[in-house]
Amino acid sequence: MAYFLQITFAGIALGCIYALIGLGFSIIFKASEVINFAQGELLLVGAYVTSSAVFEWHFNFILAVLVGVVVTVLIGLIFERFVLRRMLGRPIFAVLMITIGLDTILRTALIVRWGSNPIPAAAPYTITSGFNLSGIHIGFNDLLTVLVTVILCAMLFYFFRYTRYGLAMRATALDQEAALAVGINVRVVYALAWGIAAGIATIGGVFLAIGSYAMDPTLGGAALLAFPAIILGGVDSVTGAVVGGIIIGLVQDLTAGYESYVTSFLGAGIHQITPYLVMILVLLIRPYGLFGTRKVERI
Amino acid sequence: MKTSIKDRPTTETSPRMRFMEGKLSRWIVTALIIALVIVFFSVADDDWFSIVNYTLIAAIAAIALNVLSGYTGQVSLGIAFFMAIGAYTAAYLGGKVPTSSEDALGLGLPFILWLPASGLVAALVGGLIGPVALRLKGFYLGIVSLALIFIGQYIFMNARGITGGPQGRVFPVPAIGDAGFDQQNSFLGLALTSGQQFFLLILIVLLVVAFFVYNVMRSRVGRAFRAVRDNETGATIMGVNLLEAKLGAFVLSSFLAGIAGALFASYSRYITPNYWGLTLSIQFIAAIIIGGIASVWGSILGAAFVFGLPLVIDHFSLLPVSSGSGVISSGDLNALLYGLLIVVFLLFEPGGVIGLAYRVGALLRNFNQHQHEGGEPAEVSDL
Amino acid sequence: MSDQMPETTSSSIVAPPLLSVEGISVQFAGVKALTDVTFQAQVGELFAVIGPNGAGKTSLFNVLSRVYEPAAGRVTYDGQDLLRYKTHQVARMGIARTFQNLGQFPTMTVLDYLLLGRHTRMKSGILLGGIYFGLTRTEERKNRAYCQHLLELLGLQHLQNHPLGSLPYGLQKRADIARALALEPKLLLLDEPVAGMGFDETEDIAAAILDIKEQLGITQILVEHDMALVMGIADRILVLDFGRVIALGTAAEIQVNQDVIKAYLGEEFGGGPATQPTSAKDQPV
Repeated sequence: MAYFLQITFAGIALGCIYALIGLGFSIIFKASEVINFAQGELLLVGAYVTSSAVFEWHFNFILAVLVGVVVTVLIGLIFERFVLRRMLGRPIFAVLMITIGLDTILRTALIVRWGSNPIPAAAPYTITSGFNLSGIHIGFNDLLTVLVTVILCAMLFYFFRYTRYGLAMRATALDQEAALAVGINVRVVYALAWGIAAGIATIGGVFLAIGSYAMDPTLGGAALLAFPAIILGGVDSVTGAVVGGIIIGLVQDLTAGYESYVTSFLGAGIHQITPYLVMILVLLIRPYGLFGTRKVERI
Repeated sequence: MKTSIKDRPTTETSPRMRFMEGKLSRWIVTALIIALVIVFFSVADDDWFSIVNYTLIAAIAAIALNVLSGYTGQVSLGIAFFMAIGAYTAAYLGGKVPTSSEDALGLGLPFILWLPASGLVAALVGGLIGPVALRLKGFYLGIVSLALIFIGQYIFMNARGITGGPQGRVFPVPAIGDAGFDQQNSFLGLALTSGQQFFLLILIVLLVVAFFVYNVMRSRVGRAFRAVRDNETGATIMGVNLLEAKLGAFVLSSFLAGIAGALFASYSRYITPNYWGLTLSIQFIAAIIIGGIASVWGSILGAAFVFGLPLVIDHFSLLPVSSGSGVISSGDLNALLYGLLIVVFLLFEPGGVIGLAYRVGALLRNFNQHQHEGGEPAEVSDL
Repeated sequence: MSDQMPETTSSSIVAPPLLSVEGISVQFAGVKALTDVTFQAQVGELFAVIGPNGAGKTSLFNVLSRVYEPAAGRVTYDGQDLLRYKTHQVARMGIARTFQNLGQFPTMTVLDYLLLGRHTRMKSGILLGGIYFGLTRTEERKNRAYCQHLLELLGLQHLQNHPLGSLPYGLQKRADIARALALEPKLLLLDEPVAGMGFDETEDIAAAILDIKEQLGITQILVEHDMALVMGIADRILVLDFGRVIALGTAAEIQVNQDVIKAYLGEEFGGGPATQPTSAKDQPV
């Protein structure tokens, strides 16, 4: 039982990372209808830059994270301003492809700058540090991940509900033309969306890196699991991003934790595909995810 | 829309709009290409055959992807999966009969059976996946195709009997009678190297595939495919049966991908399952974007760029083997390049290289010709 | 107001209507798009559907195209229960429809677009198409010739290799009508065929519509805002308002119908939303 609770907690923490990725993705998608395939890669960039800031330029951890956020936000803003702006009105397929292009560029740039070998992740505490709560080991990293995610969600909630720009973003998400008509500066909204998404991605990336013992480009593959989370929750739903993330994180860690029981007849590595299987199951019943909405084609 | 549609070129090949103008120039170009092929065939060494053979196989798979995504607009990252299905079908049917429990499974069937079978089995699987595309649209379908890749990896890693597990396995070679293509053989009095034999086989398959797909796209089904891509509801109102169309696209595309996978595995002789991953799929997506969406020629050119170019760079040892600290390997340089080109082409020339060629061609024609009423058709790209 | 069959003077034989819509209601997300709509269209008739914006005209077409599922009612077409069929089967039965929003197929050439219209009249599948030589080539040639003929009729043959997206708006609409005709329909649904057109273009389309009626004998249902066009050429007119039928009759009858006048003029004076767009030629010079 303790084992189960331990894994559950770890799963929720992992799910929070997926939720952060998904949140950024949803915010961008809702604001501009862009499907950002590179969302997970932005995570990595943030984590790598943070690590360099700590180990190569000797910043302290908080400052390093800030540097990571700034760099990622810059990348996001530049991409949005100079590439995506020109893709307005183009079919979603094309925009998706262009973010795949961005993903490839980022991944390769990472390898060129930092190599393919693992490098240490920046962490203000050791990876195994934590404490015991009635037999369950609670890792600091996991705890912090959950806490920070909750705080970020609360901040975002407040931002969208009660601030001017939050309202502007929600309006743009509902109807871009109407938003333009009432004088909302949609360009600022786009920039904000990408900025927020990139910033959240960095934070998620830092936690993911700490929790992964070593950081190498294949970590991007881990972040890829955020996509079934996003799909499961519904591409255009912020709630869905969080719920989907938690579900996928739980599924992944629970199956990994109990995998040894089934390896004999199911083979190794099943925990890598259970998230996708769960996603497919959900899609069978709800083709637009749990909270997603149907898109209407006009004729 | 920001840019005028009139300014963007098309890759659509309606019979009148050819790459080159006039029957004479077409014959000249065809003759030139045939001459080039003959010259290549006679003088190239094994290394160059290797480069060209891999490129031509990639071209077949690129055409397969274009059928599904370029012409029919179905977002799919799953081409590597279908190639793998084809490869492992070939391995199972054509592989040597195992002599011990350590060997991978094989039935030892002849090449004339396993090559088409690799396409058919892949097509069957594609046919099962096809109806999914009816329920799921756009990005949702894309991520399900991504799921296919990972589920496939899981299956391939664990199905040791057929795939050899993580260590991989040997794949069968094409053979005519006893003459396997992995050795030098004599056919009709001509001594042919392994590279040459594979070249002929692959070239023939590519020509048949290209011809077939080109024909499909200029006939009823091809138009239906494009209608589905552009507007599904509009297409159904015009009478297109969505299930038939999407199923047809998936089946045809998977068939071709299976064949390409089998050829690739056969030519490489030895493959580990992690080869059939997301990176391979993305490379093919890059290939069709750079070469030209919805264009057979575009598929071939794109494959040449994404798959052939790094092989050429490697041949001349221009770049180090792996990247890091500012140095870049050929594989990674190529990835960086095609990543950049995806962005550049989608931004400025969505028709790919072929679209660019059309535009240049139109420009040249305008220099020569006097503009007259309703004369030159303006061109519009697919993206 | 129920529909009365036009009585012939001599014989007692009355032809059944090609299309019979009875009590159709459509509802989605709490909006009642259509309520209890009933009318019939006779073979060869030029039938128009008008009404202020949002009156449900396109919803009606969407029911006929089987894109919408009605909550209630029946539709009989050519003696068959249309509601039993799916959207793609409707075309095969001979119902063709033009699109209100153009630019759906910008990269297709005009000729290819018309050939797409012939989709249900052609047979080649993937296998035959891939081989091409033989059955498919013959089929392509025959159908191409037919489409060329249609293009000539509508004055578009010099544009046949131009992508639709590169054509000016009016010509795109014309190409769309040609594409609908390519199906060899018994029933042609025209969705705002002269929207956004100037005087000359409207006249051209009006002439084409009349030609279709007189020379091809195709039954047409026309949804339009342009009053002059509708009053000028339609045999009978159905007036919708907020999804309900408020009048059905000839142009003369409609023009003096009190409910119709209230529906249109009432909006103008009642401080409600603006009236429907008038065509260009009605603007003060």
